[in-house]
Amino acid sequence: MSRVVYDGTPIEFAPGDTLAVAAVRNGEHPARGGTLCLAGDCGNCVAVVDGTPWVRTCQTEARPGMVVDRHPAGGHPSTAGPDRHAQVAVRHRSADHVVIGNGASGAAAAAVARAQGDDVLVLDAADGNEVVGVFDGPTIVVRTPGGVDQLHAHHITLATGAAELHPVCPGNMLAGIYTSKAAEQLLAAGVDLGRTVTVGNDLVAIHGEVAAVAVERADGTVTECDSVIVALGSAPRDLLARMAPMVPVNVVGPAAHAHALPACPREGVVCPCGKITVEDLEGVWRKGFNELELVKRASLTGVGTCQGGVCMPHLRAFVADRSGTEPQPFTARPAARQLTMGEAAAGYHIDTFRRTPLHAEHVALGATLDRFGGWFRPWHYGDPVAEYWAVREAVSLGDVSTLGKMIVSGRDVVEALERLYPNHVHDIKVGRARYVINLTERGHIMDDGMILRDADDRFTLTFTSGGASTAEMWVRDWVETWGLNVHVLDRTVSHGAINVTGPLAGELLRMAGVNDDERPKFLQHRRLEVAGVPCHVMRLSFTGEASFELHHQIDRSVELWQALMHLGEPLGIRPHGLQALFGLRCEKGHIIVGQDTELDSSPRRVNMDWAVKLDKPAFVGRDALVRTAELPDERRLFGFRMDGPAPLEGSAIRVNGDVVGHVSSSWDSPLFGHAVLMGWQKRAPHAQVVQIDGRDAHVSEVPFYDPEGARARL
Amino acid sequence: MLVSEFTDHVPGWRIIAEPAALDAAPWPAGSHVVRISSDDAYVIGSVEPTVPPDPHAIVTPELGFSMAAVLDVAALAEQHIEWELPADRPALAQGQIAGVPAKLVLHADGSTQLLVACAARHELEGRLA
Repeated sequence: MSRVVYDGTPIEFAPGDTLAVAAVRNGEHPARGGTLCLAGDCGNCVAVVDGTPWVRTCQTEARPGMVVDRHPAGGHPSTAGPDRHAQVAVRHRSADHVVIGNGASGAAAAAVARAQGDDVLVLDAADGNEVVGVFDGPTIVVRTPGGVDQLHAHHITLATGAAELHPVCPGNMLAGIYTSKAAEQLLAAGVDLGRTVTVGNDLVAIHGEVAAVAVERADGTVTECDSVIVALGSAPRDLLARMAPMVPVNVVGPAAHAHALPACPREGVVCPCGKITVEDLEGVWRKGFNELELVKRASLTGVGTCQGGVCMPHLRAFVADRSGTEPQPFTARPAARQLTMGEAAAGYHIDTFRRTPLHAEHVALGATLDRFGGWFRPWHYGDPVAEYWAVREAVSLGDVSTLGKMIVSGRDVVEALERLYPNHVHDIKVGRARYVINLTERGHIMDDGMILRDADDRFTLTFTSGGASTAEMWVRDWVETWGLNVHVLDRTVSHGAINVTGPLAGELLRMAGVNDDERPKFLQHRRLEVAGVPCHVMRLSFTGEASFELHHQIDRSVELWQALMHLGEPLGIRPHGLQALFGLRCEKGHIIVGQDTELDSSPRRVNMDWAVKLDKPAFVGRDALVRTAELPDERRLFGFRMDGPAPLEGSAIRVNGDVVGHVSSSWDSPLFGHAVLMGWQKRAPHAQVVQIDGRDAHVSEVPFYDPEGARARL
Repeated sequence: MLVSEFTDHVPGWRIIAEPAALDAAPWPAGSHVVRISSDDAYVIGSVEPTVPPDPHAIVTPELGFSMAAVLDVAALAEQHIEWELPADRPALAQGQIAGVPAKLVLHADGSTQLLVACAARHELEGRLA
């Protein structure tokens, strides 16, 4: 015979034994007690198998060298597991018809389906296909020896049979108690159960210290034994049918048969998974939890390993007895079996984080990259303060390829943009640009960007990096809703963009072949060759300094970046990351949508009424703004200055001890030598001096830096 | 190996125009047209296509895609695609592959090409490895 190690002791097993049968063969309970069904219906045999806890040992074939440890008495096993888990393979499969259960009724259902010409797949745990969940779709998740299958089926037939009832009585958590089919299985495997006694619904109690030594019947007789075999009837094994109520599942065979509830339990453990007793149920019932779902939630009966497989009939009987009405079973939720984290994650992916065409350049320059707005972006290149000064005093490059970029064209394009944006569009001249905010129908700011006019009937639109993913949908949805003739093409991942910014930005462009007279002025844009690369040059400013965004085809990004870095060496050029950029724009009081705004921030709340033209007859959000214009609204975004280190973004803003808002942006300004912040005061009267981190902060006009905007126009 | 090595910045053109204009467009010889939607054609090839008879058409170079040949489409589908592939060829199938938005160009000769934005190529490559 081969051996497995059970709680540190080698035990022998016979070919074909499961771990649970091997334990019983050696006179042990596979866990710490409770009725064994050996059918996977209960949690009374779960143990840690080769480091994985919560494994049903009755469903796990014993193999030489396996290491099994019982769960700790009265507690849960560690789920820490190994530091690194092997990736679990996933297979996506499809079938016309999936039959779950390969017993008589399942085989018959499969035969009928095949006769109808269906492509049929039959799944049975005995064949290694353990169904752990049925989801809308429908999708069936199956644990297999090779990993996890995700099956996409048009029809599902459930033929999972019936589960034998467990006894609920004093002593029902002792070892040596078996359902009748479990006993058959053990005897067939040659396991010696000693003196057995078979009992039915006349069972009153099972006596013993660790294992059963006697049973007591309703007539008062007590029979000594080594093993108790319980024959109490069965209940539908319909967990999977109750798992996805929107999925039509055809239930056949015993799983579909109506079964009478057992007698109301009077004493003993109802829920072996949670060791929840009849007394516990009575306690929550007395507190007013008088429905099945409430009893479940209050007592946690049915939320354990077996998901109600054992306790559901008894719990229903308890509620029926107390309420006089037989309750329906509660909804089941995946998973029907414990899964490892690897199995649960199989086939699922975290969001894709994209790389700009300059990713390798950033890495080569020693950038610390961070995930931001769906992209890997340089947070800094080692010295964010030096990067800041490069922008303020010389010239710097920023990778803004992540910005949303879109071309719109068409007969109705001006009309569409007038309706989309809250500012005027028709008066933007070809070659000119305008800053814009995007509003929801409720008049709340959802994004911002630029409108650049390329021709009478053609515009380039930009959006924030975070807003880019929804921008195309937003534009298309509205254009289609209005029935306007507009073509839309998203260029976000097809165009790179480099921001050349700083007082020497114009000089760098000159060195890159752009004459002063062709360089666009502030809020102008032009198509030019820069260092030999065709670019759409947009003159705007987020940093507060002269800035030229060079939009170009992404296959030229590296060439353009390297040329500018090389040409800019005599000017003291260095790239800047997001950390410096956020500080630069904070000094200018430029908001970042989503950071300085909240979900319900209107233009008024962020002091940007100037970006809204209510004289326009219609635009998205206009009705809401008009409707709320006269309503009192105390919430405002303010600029603050304070001495000492800048507080963390998110810090509470207090007035006389009361929290009145929070800090949305915070920056230790190298230029000013003190912290500059933006943050919310959510009620009037607005204080001029607030407290943040126990220090005073003073309301300050924004922009903090260059309020006339002269630097951007250099 | 499920796919060949990827080629970044596949030369091509993107044309957004009225569906009828795209239907009637004379595409350059040797180019391959991927009809992303009724008003959106991705013309793979170096030759600039003739502007279709739509005065507002957007015609612009498209260098944002990375392309690989699919070596075993059945295995790719089984391991990485939750949705059902079209049964007929030629066809364009679009959706997530290993969680990354991508396109499969299923040619009539049985070959298949995989298109993904260059920005997400590294992610898809890693997930298919």
